[in-house]
Amino acid sequence: MIDLDHVSKSYEKGQPAVNDITLHVNKGEFVFVVGESGSGKSTLIKLLLHELAPTSGQITVNDHVLSTLRHKDIPKYRREIGVVFQDFRLLNDRNVYENVAFAQHVVETPGRKIRKRVPEVLQMVGLAEKYRSLPRQLSGGEQQRVAVARAIVNRPALLLADEPTGNLDPRNSLDIMNLLQKINDNGTTVLVVTHNRELVDMFHKRVITMRRGIIASDVEEGKYHEA
Amino acid sequence: MRPSSLFYNIKQGFKNIWRNRMFSMASIATMSACILLFSIFFSILINVNYMIRTLEEEVGVSVLFDEGTSEERIKEIGTEIEKLDHVTSIAYTSPEEAWASFCEEYFEGNEELAESFRSDNPLEYSASYTVHVDEIENQDAVVARIEKIEGVRKINQSASAVSTLTAFNTLMTYGSIAIIAVLLVVAVFLISNTVSIGISVRRHEIAIMKYIGATDAFVRAPFIVEGILLGAIGAAIPLAVVYFAYDRLVGILLARFDILSTISSSLPDSMVVFRILLPIGLILGVGIGLFGSIITVRKHLSV
Repeated sequence: MIDLDHVSKSYEKGQPAVNDITLHVNKGEFVFVVGESGSGKSTLIKLLLHELAPTSGQITVNDHVLSTLRHKDIPKYRREIGVVFQDFRLLNDRNVYENVAFAQHVVETPGRKIRKRVPEVLQMVGLAEKYRSLPRQLSGGEQQRVAVARAIVNRPALLLADEPTGNLDPRNSLDIMNLLQKINDNGTTVLVVTHNRELVDMFHKRVITMRRGIIASDVEEGKYHEA
Repeated sequence: MRPSSLFYNIKQGFKNIWRNRMFSMASIATMSACILLFSIFFSILINVNYMIRTLEEEVGVSVLFDEGTSEERIKEIGTEIEKLDHVTSIAYTSPEEAWASFCEEYFEGNEELAESFRSDNPLEYSASYTVHVDEIENQDAVVARIEKIEGVRKINQSASAVSTLTAFNTLMTYGSIAIIAVLLVVAVFLISNTVSIGISVRRHEIAIMKYIGATDAFVRAPFIVEGILLGAIGAAIPLAVVYFAYDRLVGILLARFDILSTISSSLPDSMVVFRILLPIGLILGVGIGLFGSIITVRKHLSV
């Protein structure tokens, strides 16, 4: 699903944010990426989203070689990836249903399919009852569930989550992680960037630890402290 | 783009206008002012043109003959004039008709004065042809040709009113083009400004759209729709005002200013003006909106 072959990314100043990383993630895997601030985790997400281009090396995601993607093919590529952020990034002037439907409108899904799919996804994330609520009327955990619903409504092959529990209490964090596990069980590859030591240790998944732009360790069923 | 997406983007365009309603209102007001001025100038130009055409039809050239010219020769002269280019009609006035017309005009109420001339027509040598030409610009050329015909003594030309109107029309055309051009630039600027504010307000939403996989066209479409709507609404308002006010205004002008009714008993009605003004006004409004939004989207929305 994800192949990074000697990938580096340097910004104008300082040392490379990502330095000669080689990484392979299989289809259907659940992977944690951990590391301190500035270790290159966010740059990795941006590279996978093709928001940034690597300075050197090659990235292949779901059979797309990103360096050969034409500008007009980028939207099509991004439709195969769902993304969840720490700050939810919901549209505050739209209710839960509209926030999720928005993702389908954007990829030009016909109206009747939207009307069928959105309630299904809201049911899955446990927000079927709150479809008319505005984001400000929801708790942090509920807002993140809306963001997850929006990320998966277009059935992506890969789900990227950048600190999805960063703004949540332990109880809601666990709920979100369970939700991501459920999505992974349905066949979606999930890559979670996190600082949350307890959750990483609890889930016994593959843990990739980054430090100063390199992969310091990559352990199957690893734990946070092994980094 | 799918019909459902098109509908979605049109809805978003309306929402953009509502979200930035103050700026939208400023854009619509400027556009309305621009199209209203355009409509006023356009209506004036059409009316002045109409008057010129009416005058061209009414203002003829009087051709008088040398003393003692026989009736036969006068008929020949008439045939020669008829053959000239640009001559649309020719009417003969006999000395008797000329005297009768003079009496009607100058001795009204004093018919006894005219009686003293009963046996003697002072206008004995005032037989004439009244010649009409197709366009006023051709009158001088026709007069020059008639002057060369043997037996023609004098030609009375009265085209000064027409010339004044033609000059006024030209001045109006240039003046209105200049004013409208300035207003168009202002309208484009304001629409562009409104759209760019809409883009900055929706920056967050645009970023999410890009992450989800929106195409360039999909991201840009609501802003283009917004520009078109601002232009169309801005054009529709003054066009509606002109439509309802035009006939009433023409009626008032004709009643107030006698000069107008002496030039022309009627002026073109609103339908005549609107058949041309409506499509031009709408195309202008929509075109400005489209242009303003496209340049802004290209500048601020490199997706």
